Amino acid sequence: MTALQRVALWRSRSGGLTDPQFALAIVIGVLLFHVIIIIVPLAYSFWLSLHETNVILRSREYVGFDLWGEALFEEETQSATLKSLYFAAVSVVLSLVLSLGMALVLNQEFPGRGILRALILLPWAVSEVVTATMWTVMLEPSWGFFNGALQPLGIVGEGHVWLNKDWALFWLAVAFTWHIAPLGTFFFLAALQTIPQDLYNAARIDRAGVISRFYHVTLPHIRYAVLIVLVVVTVEAFRQFDLVFAMTSGGPGTTTQILPLLIFRYNFQFSQYGLASASSFILIIIATILAVAYFVLMTRRTKQTRVAAAQRRAAIAAESS
Amino acid sequence: MKRDANLKLFVALSVLFVFLWTIVPFFWMLWASFMTDSELSTGIVQGIDDPTLDHYNRIFGHADEEAIHGGQTKLIGQGFLNSLLVSLPVAIIGTAIATLAGYAFGRFNFPAKTGLLFGLLLTRVLPPVAILIPYFTMFRTVGLVGDPGGLILTYLTGIIPLLSWVLMGYFATLPLEVERAARIDGCSRLKVLWYVIIPMAAPGISAAFIIAFLFAWNELLFGIILVGGTKWQTLSPALLAISPLTAVGYSPIALFSAASALSIAPPLILALIFQRYITRLNIVDPVTVRE
Repeated sequence: MTALQRVALWRSRSGGLTDPQFALAIVIGVLLFHVIIIIVPLAYSFWLSLHETNVILRSREYVGFDLWGEALFEEETQSATLKSLYFAAVSVVLSLVLSLGMALVLNQEFPGRGILRALILLPWAVSEVVTATMWTVMLEPSWGFFNGALQPLGIVGEGHVWLNKDWALFWLAVAFTWHIAPLGTFFFLAALQTIPQDLYNAARIDRAGVISRFYHVTLPHIRYAVLIVLVVVTVEAFRQFDLVFAMTSGGPGTTTQILPLLIFRYNFQFSQYGLASASSFILIIIATILAVAYFVLMTRRTKQTRVAAAQRRAAIAAESS
Repeated sequence: MKRDANLKLFVALSVLFVFLWTIVPFFWMLWASFMTDSELSTGIVQGIDDPTLDHYNRIFGHADEEAIHGGQTKLIGQGFLNSLLVSLPVAIIGTAIATLAGYAFGRFNFPAKTGLLFGLLLTRVLPPVAILIPYFTMFRTVGLVGDPGGLILTYLTGIIPLLSWVLMGYFATLPLEVERAARIDGCSRLKVLWYVIIPMAAPGISAAFIIAFLFAWNELLFGIILVGGTKWQTLSPALLAISPLTAVGYSPIALFSAASALSIAPPLILALIFQRYITRLNIVDPVTVRE
């Protein structure tokens, strides 16, 4: 039945609204709610970014885009931006590998699979604050688990400081991966379950090895899930504040001071609302560019993938029959 | 055959790794919560001579020894309650609105659908820290600072886009026939949604409810800004207040571990109960959903 026929059939009983009108009314209602609660604060934030606030004199002076320049070119903000990018990059790579690996394992048949599938969701269910507690217990130098387990084996020296100035941000990304990867695993599991078993059987008849099967059968079916995980982890990594704030608060020194933390400090430690707002827009712009890029990639890729997958399936079906 | 045996061993080792990676941090946090402070300071990897419930007793207010700096431990229990009072409305209202939006996006075509969907999803990209000051100023103007209403509103805006997207994917996979039959029998669109779609989509809607609840339960930043230090303080800010990592003054990590362990009870129970619903969520391409 075409959309047009449906409209003709349903229109008479729906208070005069066609289906598209009905849907549009709902969507616009929801969007309006978001516009008010997000665009208005954003506009205010933009206004703030054009003004230098002096808390002591209680004055506010229009300075144009000076603060944007400061946010873009000051060493402090630049280094925080780089740290945010590093944190996001490490998190994305680790999460992709780990969540896909876990999904492939959980897609195998083994006793206790149901229980393990339930268990692996737990890190995602706990908050970033609790994640920070757990990983502090793991990494604490004087009594933590890592040193307690690894020192007797001679792998690390006495009182090895894991959260040192070179590696603290990396370990934060590991803790964040522990928290976020289960979500990716579930996206991958859902995608893996849509692959017809026939394809694997056909590939096996053709004597395709494990790697070849993964590349030619599994990967085309989970490409879309890969993109989702990319988007979700990137966005969440750029938004991340709670975990870093709770675990290191930017330390040691300012080595883990990613952009959201710096913005927080500008606001609440230094009352530099203008600079904080200008820096916020840098964060928003980076995150938006990445999201749009992924989104474009997603719309293009999935269409290609679908055609490719359909062709491949037809070819394999023809061959195996 | 030898190859099969090797593969089996590899799977077994991988399973073991996944299990340990997931469970080890939980285990040691719980382990620490049963140690005394002096015992913990000599190393966590050792047997506990005399497991203590002191830390838990203190949080429940049953200990003789008064809590650390200014009775902050009492705020854990209060935070627990407050978080429930905030998270439940967020989950209920958020799921309801997102069900409508997801139904509209997943079932119908309308002008500018892709653009509108993208607009909605883009709000999710916004870092919370970027709208902190405007939110605070706005809510102060209308008297919603220190009020759970402001927090509920904030969380709703944060979670509705994600829920709509999840539910859209779910609705798009449900069979059209039943819905069509109901419509021909004279049901209005909202009646169809209520009597036909929602029962069919129960697993997806349950999953959305849990995602919303967990989001509200776990959030820290807006909790600090909007209700931190007030009588409506939620659990995450309350936890942070006794954290040895950020707290001013002395605060033992064993106590903090116990409080953290208590705080994860509701999320863990929810995650375990609804795990099977979450596994049934469908990943449907949001852009090319055209039924």
